[in-house]
Amino acid sequence: MKRTGLLYDERFLLHKTGEGHPEMPERLTVIMRAIEEAGLFSKLVPVPVTAAKIKWIEKVHAPKYIHRFEEACMLDLGELGDPDNQICPQSYDTALLAVGGILNTVDMLMEGKIDNAFCAVRPPGHHAEMMDAYGFCFFNNVAIAARYLQLVWNVGRVGIVDFDVHHGNGTQHIFEQDADVFYYSIHEHPSFAYPGTGREFEKGSGPGFGMTLNSTVLPGQGDEEYMHKITRDLLPAFDQFKPEVILVSAGFDAHAADDMSDINLSTEGFSWMMETICRMADKYAGGRLISILEGGYALDVLPELLKNHVEILLGLKEL
Amino acid sequence: MFIDQSMTRDVITVGPEMSIIAAREIMVKNGIRHLPVVAEDDILVGIVTDRDIRTAMPSTVLSEAENAAAAERLAGIKVKDVMTARPVTVSPTQTLEDALLMMEMYKVGAFPVVDQQGRLRGIISVRDLMRAFVNVLGLRTPGVLVGIVVEDKLGQMKKIVDAISELGVSFGSILVARVWEEGKRAVFPYLLTTNIARVRKHLRDKGFTLLDPMEWYLDQVPKK
Repeated sequence: MKRTGLLYDERFLLHKTGEGHPEMPERLTVIMRAIEEAGLFSKLVPVPVTAAKIKWIEKVHAPKYIHRFEEACMLDLGELGDPDNQICPQSYDTALLAVGGILNTVDMLMEGKIDNAFCAVRPPGHHAEMMDAYGFCFFNNVAIAARYLQLVWNVGRVGIVDFDVHHGNGTQHIFEQDADVFYYSIHEHPSFAYPGTGREFEKGSGPGFGMTLNSTVLPGQGDEEYMHKITRDLLPAFDQFKPEVILVSAGFDAHAADDMSDINLSTEGFSWMMETICRMADKYAGGRLISILEGGYALDVLPELLKNHVEILLGLKEL
Repeated sequence: MFIDQSMTRDVITVGPEMSIIAAREIMVKNGIRHLPVVAEDDILVGIVTDRDIRTAMPSTVLSEAENAAAAERLAGIKVKDVMTARPVTVSPTQTLEDALLMMEMYKVGAFPVVDQQGRLRGIISVRDLMRAFVNVLGLRTPGVLVGIVVEDKLGQMKKIVDAISELGVSFGSILVARVWEEGKRAVFPYLLTTNIARVRKHLRDKGFTLLDPMEWYLDQVPKK
């Protein structure tokens, strides 16, 4: 069994998005209840939560944007940028705690105190751009973790796998020109789904050319197409890149029961995908992997999906 | 939008007396297919395309001896011998729609932009128009395209905008296809929201017919 870290804090529930918004605090409560009911708590290593220092946020986001976010919360403006990004007075502090907790997770991983980890955080991050909030995301959690791995832990090659059903435009753009961070995303085809980026011809630019890879899936497709594209695209790419640490943007909205997308991935399909990613971590990164929650809105399937997810990280579940 | 706002200003030009071999090198090196030809004072005298030059080049099926002779002859050919003299031009105060329709009409990929004195001010190409089009569609802002079929009568757009606005969703752009099927129009709002399923459901509940591109796709998939 692996020593798997678990990042969670009840304060992640304080980011309130209002009536009817899919990115709701209940997502985390059902996930945590499932992990508890499966008897996994005692097997997991808790990660302490502290607010992130602004200097780490600034490695990814412009100070002007950070201030705009803070101010919008202080003034209780209700939204940041557009109505998708609902905020409340606590949203800024919550986002800082999520990032801070993730950076603590990185430290524990690199100090060898844990083998891998799951971060049950809100708000999500992968749509957040350097200067803007998009798609329920404010600080790009995964991107900040990758920069921190580079700057503090001198990790030469960070591999990011993003299986949220929506393309991680923010993460892609932040590392577009970076030869040391490989961004792979599999998502619903951008002509049918938000955010309209992540087309297969987008491959990075400048020194980062070839370090961005997108697999697009048409509406109605599911397990077969995911297995085909991950095997065809991701496996050979990481075989060449050989990431030293893998970060996962773990979104669960590609599930057939999740009406945020038209993709029909099954519960078993998610397990196959996560096991495949964990095997790559074992092969290239000494198992070092941090999974960070992005989307996933179907409250009835999240419990089972996340129980499986954590069991796979612990090494309790084999295909 | 005026052409002046979208044209390429830093234009690489050649003189009429330049050899076509040198002109071709300039095209290859800069990855461009059109070179405006200017005389003194930037007065436009013609335009030369890679096609004009290729037509003058020796064929690859010729023998070496024939090729050598042709190459010698080629060195003497000047831009002014192969260029289109007095090409169709546009002015900076014409609009992008003018350029778009003219490109379709004249079947050319670029127009030199000249002022009233006949001086070259820029060039407007298919590429410039595409950039403007991507901008108008708002494709660089995260969002998603939805297709709605409505009857071709007054007031339909308002209903669509109202229905979408009820959900508090912002618009990136709206396109309307005038000819879709008999008596119908297709409206394509580009919506700045992640939760598109909610928008689709809301529109269907309100009685709108949504275009489902997957119907076409599923028709292409071999039936089991």
